Amino acid sequence: MKSFIEGLGHGLIDSVAKLGYAARLFMLLLRNSGMAFARLRLTIAQIHFIGNYSLVIIVVSGLFVGFVLGLQGYNTLQRYGSEQALGLLVALSLVRELGPVVTALLFAGRAGTSITAEIGLMKAGEQLSAMEMMAVSPIARVLAPRFWAGAISMPLLAALFSAVGVFGGYIVGVVMIGVDDGAFWSQMQNGVDWLEDVGNGVIKSIVFGLAVTFIAVFEGYDSQPTPEGVSRATTRTVVSSSLAVLALDFILTALMFSKG
Amino acid sequence: MSIPASPEPAGQPFVAMQGVSFAYPTLTGALGRQILTGVDLQVKRGQLVALMGGSGSGKTTILRLLGGQVKPQAGTVLVDGQNVHALKSRELFELRRRMGMLFQFGALFTDMSVFENVAFPLREHTDLPEEAIRDLVLMKLNAVGLRGAQALMPSQVSGGMSRRIALARAIALDPQLIMYDEPFAGLDPISLGQTANLIRTLGDALGAASIIVTHDVEESLQIVDYVYFLAEGKIVAQGTPDEIRASEMPYVKQFVTGAPDGPVRFHYPAPEYAADLGLSR
Repeated sequence: MKSFIEGLGHGLIDSVAKLGYAARLFMLLLRNSGMAFARLRLTIAQIHFIGNYSLVIIVVSGLFVGFVLGLQGYNTLQRYGSEQALGLLVALSLVRELGPVVTALLFAGRAGTSITAEIGLMKAGEQLSAMEMMAVSPIARVLAPRFWAGAISMPLLAALFSAVGVFGGYIVGVVMIGVDDGAFWSQMQNGVDWLEDVGNGVIKSIVFGLAVTFIAVFEGYDSQPTPEGVSRATTRTVVSSSLAVLALDFILTALMFSKG
Repeated sequence: MSIPASPEPAGQPFVAMQGVSFAYPTLTGALGRQILTGVDLQVKRGQLVALMGGSGSGKTTILRLLGGQVKPQAGTVLVDGQNVHALKSRELFELRRRMGMLFQFGALFTDMSVFENVAFPLREHTDLPEEAIRDLVLMKLNAVGLRGAQALMPSQVSGGMSRRIALARAIALDPQLIMYDEPFAGLDPISLGQTANLIRTLGDALGAASIIVTHDVEESLQIVDYVYFLAEGKIVAQGTPDEIRASEMPYVKQFVTGAPDGPVRFHYPAPEYAADLGLSR
């Protein structure tokens, strides 16, 4: 019993200490972000690496999610004779929820893991120590460009996901099932509000991008410098960032879309 | 080869540690195992000093303390007259520009070519034009005999080569203090001889204070000016290579002769063998 309580206490203290460490690293990251913008080449290289290489998975997933939304949406809507509203349903589902959330989850798996593994292996290979000893801050030179590249890439990828998803819904709904072309687009145009729907979706994707990329760089920087440590850190990135995205999504949705 | 310089410097030593004690702190602030206890050492400009001792004796930690990467709980670490741990981070970075460190496995940046690795400190800390950087990098690579390897990636070179490239990178800014962490570990005899010669000649050419952490006794005794022996975080012996070779101290003797058992035990502390196997009643 005593050891159980001791273990609980240790676990709690460790968690709080780690949270504090993460908060300090976040502040350091912000303070050391000058180089990421002053030498934009560093950040652009990371945007290419993180963003560009995530394109395939984002586009293909967006297309299939759009297909499924088209099918499911049509099945439900036609019961009430309102299949004309399919365009609206597909677009709202995507820009408000699925675009930012699914993109963030895919982004955590595709880009977050590679950021964590890269930084973790750099640490294990003493590359970060070597950089420090060369009077170059690894936070400014390695972490900050990756962090901002992820934060910039994420909203762009989410926008692309939603656009491709709408196109997928169009293919299934209009081209294959035969919903009226004009109704599909006009209902969407009338029903989707730029600020309320698209704007909030973009804010969500920016917040998710910051959260996922910060977790990825933190886990990499904090990883044990061993093969096992790096693999654990990579796993933690996926688990923590997925949970963070879903929890943040609930909070943001409650703040943004609750009426009254 | 010119040996020994006395540890008592004529002028101010470039590196001086006084009564340094250190244990790694944990995340919650508690201290871990004691790594160093009351360490005093000095290195002058142009002097090549070896830190010897078994694995886990705290040798590498001394280098980390000199570079300001970790902070001692007691004692002072002076480099070029500056107290490393009293410096603000900007001043510490200024000081580090005058230090070069060779890591055990080179620690080359794996996403950059050999050329870019050596150019890295120059690009980060100088505004030199591209042509000047190119000339400097080729000169440094030539000094370690690897000018021809400039276009290769770190994954394409052998362990010995990557250590020489890392050495070229460490001396890119002509440091006044060069630290070597196990430069001979895992090298074949030819690379080992080459690396040892390089360490001596580079230190002499730059007039730099050099510290080499090693357990390669024979090779290092041939090139160094002075030796400190560490055991369990304390300096247990020191002297010129000749004094070390002649030492009758059991610990040093065991180290120099490489005897498997002595003051440094072969077995990690354990309960009685028979009891552990369940044979004794």
